[in-house]
Amino acid sequence: MTLFELYSSLGESLDEVLGRLRMESRIAKYLGLFLNDPSYNELKEAFAAKDAKTAFRAAHTLKGVAANLGLSKLSASSSELTEDLRPCEFTANSQALLDKVEADYTTAVEGIKQLEQ
Amino acid sequence: MEEKRPLILIVDDVALNRTLLSDVLCDKYDILEAKNGNEALLLLRERTSEISLVLLDMVMPKKDGMEVLTIMNKNGWINEIPVIMISVENSHSLIEGAYSLGVTDFIGRPFDEMILLNRVSNTIRLYAKQKHLSDLVLSQIYEKTRNNSMMVTMLSHIVEFRNGESGMHVLHINTITEMLLHELLHRSKKYKINKDDIGIISTASSMHDIGKITIPDEILNKPGKLTPEEFNIMKGHSLNGSLMLNSVPFGKDEPLMKYAYEICRWHHERYDGRGYPDGLKGDDIPIAAQIVSIADVYDALTSERCYKKAFTHEKALEMIHNNECGVFNPLLLDCLDAIADKLVASLQTFDWNKQADKDFFYIADTMIKDQKHPIYNQAFRQFINERKKSNFFESMLNDIIFEYTYSPSIVKFSSSAAKKLNLPKTIIEDDKKDTSNIDNDNWQKIKEALLQQSPSKNDTVQINMELTIDGNKVPCKAVFLQIWNKTQNEAPVLTSVYGHIEVLNK
Repeated sequence: MTLFELYSSLGESLDEVLGRLRMESRIAKYLGLFLNDPSYNELKEAFAAKDAKTAFRAAHTLKGVAANLGLSKLSASSSELTEDLRPCEFTANSQALLDKVEADYTTAVEGIKQLEQ
Repeated sequence: MEEKRPLILIVDDVALNRTLLSDVLCDKYDILEAKNGNEALLLLRERTSEISLVLLDMVMPKKDGMEVLTIMNKNGWINEIPVIMISVENSHSLIEGAYSLGVTDFIGRPFDEMILLNRVSNTIRLYAKQKHLSDLVLSQIYEKTRNNSMMVTMLSHIVEFRNGESGMHVLHINTITEMLLHELLHRSKKYKINKDDIGIISTASSMHDIGKITIPDEILNKPGKLTPEEFNIMKGHSLNGSLMLNSVPFGKDEPLMKYAYEICRWHHERYDGRGYPDGLKGDDIPIAAQIVSIADVYDALTSERCYKKAFTHEKALEMIHNNECGVFNPLLLDCLDAIADKLVASLQTFDWNKQADKDFFYIADTMIKDQKHPIYNQAFRQFINERKKSNFFESMLNDIIFEYTYSPSIVKFSSSAAKKLNLPKTIIEDDKKDTSNIDNDNWQKIKEALLQQSPSKNDTVQINMELTIDGNKVPCKAVFLQIWNKTQNEAPVLTSVYGHIEVLNK
């Protein structure tokens, strides 16, 4: 899969990212680094440990990283979770919002893994 | 010469974010990275004057962006180093909070590379301009203040020289006045003077005898006792000095002028009202004049003059207390007693370098405290602290240490070094003459050693020599750190040396 095909399949715009970050090679490099970024795992672990403060920070980070890479769906769902957790307490909605983040994250990661080297 | 690339500190807990920023910026800038607030603060503290810009993330573990900003405010760094906050944060109140803590700009994520680059370069350029201007003003004020106090000192020395005195009198009065003032402020809030006045009054004290230039030589330098007529003429110097100052067409409102006038005119008044020229009594005599009066008498008593020998410190104190040389404010007599021991030591070890340093610290202190134009110059503050530090360590060490500059040829020894080597603390040599005007074996040996250069042009040089210390010839090991001035096109030039000499035990 090419970079263009990846963004199309995710329903995202490669043009938008290219406008900001200029080079395809650079975008591909960051997507690779994104696979190793610990924020998502930290978020999951924080939920398991009922640590709302860390969960907020991880969601916040994920939102920023996703936004930079043009993964607007993941960024949007992370943003909703971030706002939900801002008072550093879990709410009745938190789990549902995490599920949405998980779905978006998994889709994005599956796609990135199929990117041509 | 190639221009130095500005250094940018990127603070973000996410490696991916740091990489993203540094990829964009590394073509034009040098990059430092910190992965949390604590690391950022450590780098800021160590490299304050090098860092041109901070790109700061808001949400981080171990001190977040807001905490970093708060500490940057506390240390004054925020005034010198611009901060651009980069965050995906869109809470209005948080962003407003960041601005109120002094961030120059806020860039949201996702950011556009082109906009980021432009904001970064604009911010750095703006701050560099501002810094250059503030450095310029700073160095001019510093020069001006320094020149002023130098002029005052020179002027007073001219008066002293005519008097056949060494010029030490003025410097002693300076020191005694300053010490008395500190003690007085410590004991009483009765007088309308504060800490900032101490430096001004001490400087003004240098001028207490300028009226003496109106006194004829025969009277001024008469070895014997003055006749009543001659004494009357001599007494005219205090009034004449004040009139001279009064006729200066400017500076009437300057505190220095006000104090100088008071000191010139009334430093021969007596607390009981029987002094001259106006017969003022008690606290009608301005406090600055009262203090200089007591300092003047003490130094006159303990120094040799054309008409008398020097009295001891104890004898002088006794004479002052017994009203043998005037009548003084009892509070000031208490102050004199309180500083008596320190006074002897201060006057004995008086040296020019220390005086220059004192002036320097005084000016620096005043400038830093200036409410209207505070100094934001971190490099300047660091310089002051370094200087204080090295003075402190030097005073604690009983070792032989010195600094030497090649052109002009000046060596400065530490106090203990000068004492051990039996050399003056400062030796200045005439470049054109080969031979030193100091005929001292130790100095000849050290000078020979100073001419040896390290082959690698940046190393310490170690030389063994035999020196005479406390009258005994002893083997010594000298270590010199040579400072080379490197310019791009010319060969490096050896400019100065920091030296340490260790006595080798047999």
